[in-house]
Amino acid sequence: MEFKLEAHRIVSISLGKIYNSRGQRGGIKLHKNLLVSLVLRSARQVYLSDPCPGLYLAGSPVPPPQPGEPAAGPPAGWGEPPPPAARAAWPEPETPPERPAGPDARRAVDAEPAAPGAGDTLQGGEAAATAEAAWRRAEVPRAAAAGGAGDPAGGADVCPEGPRAAHRPCACPPGGEAGPGALSCAPRPAKDERPVPPPGCPRKRGAAAGDGPADCPAPGSSPLKKPRRHPEEPAGGAAAEEEEMETGNVANLISIFGSSFSGLLRKSPAGGREEAEAEESGPEAAEPGQICCDQPVLRDINPWSTAIVAF
Amino acid sequence: TGGRRGPDIISTVEFNHTGELLATGDKGGRVVIFQREPESKNAPHSQGEYDVYSTFQSHEPEFDYLKSLEIEEKINKIKWLPQQNAAHSLLSTNDKTIKLWKITERDKRPEGYNLKDEEGKLKDLSTVTSLQVPVLKPMDLMVEVSPRRVFANGHTYHINSISVNSDCETYMSADDLRINLWHLAITDRSFNIVDIKPANMEDLTEVITASEFHPHHCNLFVYSSSKGSLRLCDMRAAALCDKHSKLFEEPEDPSNRSFFSEIISSVSDVKFSHSGRYMLTRDYLTVKVWDLNMEARPIETYQVHDYLRSKLCSLYENDCIFDKFECAWNGSDSVIMTGAYNNFFRMFDRNTKRDVTLEASRESSKPRAVLKPRRVCVGGKRRRDDISVDSLDFTKKILHTAWHPAENIIAIAATNNLYIFQDKVNSEMH
Repeated sequence: MEFKLEAHRIVSISLGKIYNSRGQRGGIKLHKNLLVSLVLRSARQVYLSDPCPGLYLAGSPVPPPQPGEPAAGPPAGWGEPPPPAARAAWPEPETPPERPAGPDARRAVDAEPAAPGAGDTLQGGEAAATAEAAWRRAEVPRAAAAGGAGDPAGGADVCPEGPRAAHRPCACPPGGEAGPGALSCAPRPAKDERPVPPPGCPRKRGAAAGDGPADCPAPGSSPLKKPRRHPEEPAGGAAAEEEEMETGNVANLISIFGSSFSGLLRKSPAGGREEAEAEESGPEAAEPGQICCDQPVLRDINPWSTAIVAF
Repeated sequence: TGGRRGPDIISTVEFNHTGELLATGDKGGRVVIFQREPESKNAPHSQGEYDVYSTFQSHEPEFDYLKSLEIEEKINKIKWLPQQNAAHSLLSTNDKTIKLWKITERDKRPEGYNLKDEEGKLKDLSTVTSLQVPVLKPMDLMVEVSPRRVFANGHTYHINSISVNSDCETYMSADDLRINLWHLAITDRSFNIVDIKPANMEDLTEVITASEFHPHHCNLFVYSSSKGSLRLCDMRAAALCDKHSKLFEEPEDPSNRSFFSEIISSVSDVKFSHSGRYMLTRDYLTVKVWDLNMEARPIETYQVHDYLRSKLCSLYENDCIFDKFECAWNGSDSVIMTGAYNNFFRMFDRNTKRDVTLEASRESSKPRAVLKPRRVCVGGKRRRDDISVDSLDFTKKILHTAWHPAENIIAIAATNNLYIFQDKVNSEMH
């Protein structure tokens, strides 16, 4: 499950980079954007290959960004598990005794990546719909903030996962829960990072790597301090939010990124090689390219997932 | 050691063929040339140090109105032409335009004109009673730089490398997708010799990252790709060298697979050895030596900073994973050098298999002090002066390094400072 979270995070970081590159001086750097798109595809593959059917059948649209949500910085709930959809046969995450609720309880480490269905509930005890709402909200601000956030993690801050990644062991579980096609989360569990030097990607707050409930991290370390951005919501609220979905945001993102790497570089579709030559002019009004995955399930995916999948 | 202060970040460093001159380019489009002072007989131990010889503005920011694009003035590469007369020539390039600069010295000036006086004003002819032949008198050295050629509009994508052919008449320039061959005297056209642009850009999977002519065989050149492969091409085989003569590629180690495998395998620099027998490549974590006669794998692989392998995610986030490090051979091809983070640079002796990490910083190196080897500790026993991985400063990166063609003199660009280290004592590195 943590591969999916990692993939999720990498997808959003990558999208942010691509988005930011449009405003770069000197034009879009083809090489860098190609590499980012390759990472995006790898992450997407992991994301899709992870067996979480509930996610894809959710059909839940993306809610609008919270007003007053800071443009920069990690959105709340970023590291939260993918939402179990109301409609899908997603097991409600029972609150296991080792996962107390509330932000302070993030210390508790769920070191069992193999726990099926329960996911990597970082905020233990969270209601399914809350997680779903949190996840959705996390997506949009991340992307919407891409323009304003500037350099993701310029090294001055901790890994954006922050506290939410507190107890997610990122090392490959022994024996490889992930199938052969899945990619391992690159960073090993690292010690607490210090904010000033660009940290190793922090995956563990505890001192020991990959262990069970970790010690509380050193008092000075940052992870404890990041508040969650959104309060818990009742399950019914999630449904109501679906109604309030603002598609404009998502539609813009899809039009920006299209369905492929070049979709974001090209101004106009296939016709017009001269335009295609003008790779660097930026996709002000790039049209969505052809669908790159023709599984029928895609049609049911909410627009945001489509954007991710398409990439 | 010479040093240059300034807000502009050095973007390229290159010795000329004798090592007498050292050129640097920066983000502001300027070129600064250093010249090695001849050894002083009075102080035989103070072998020539490098002083500023000339500074000029090579490129200015431009705006492409058609594409609404700003073209950066940053100098991506400088390559010296072999010296053919008293003047020196070099090519400098930004993302789009290559320029040929001629550097000449003037240390004499004519005096004794008949019609003009010393200030150049016309003389009153009635005062001229006899004719004299003007004579050349010595004057303070003046270094004059003039642009002799501008090779523009050859590239749609960003130029990443230029390389002068051993025939001294042609050179090539490479961007992300194409390589062009130019004649040094002709600016209004070039020949496209490599084109890897797919018919459908959606099928794009790799780009050209660096290229270089073979040092002796004027028909051979190599280019590297973002996928980690090298292609050796023969211009005599076909006009368009899309088909390589040799493909150098190492199969990926499946145990190292991660989201970032592709990024870290992208080759950031390729350099032929002086002998022409080997190639040196740099990717994010390693330098590799390839034998031109063996395509299957490199003959040597050196870990530059393998401790970063577990931190690729962070390095991706802060963009450091996209840093393009260069690499260099020493004159005898026995030692290779490349830069790293925290202002560290690494040298690998191919014969003894020993390696050293050194630091380029004002704090740690006073003039004529001996550089102290540094060590990055990755856990386990930590020695006193070790640096831990987590305290490495990733904003201090040494991307550009150059080695004197014959002597143990190296030029290290650390952000906006240039360090020149000389090995006065015969070291075991030979």
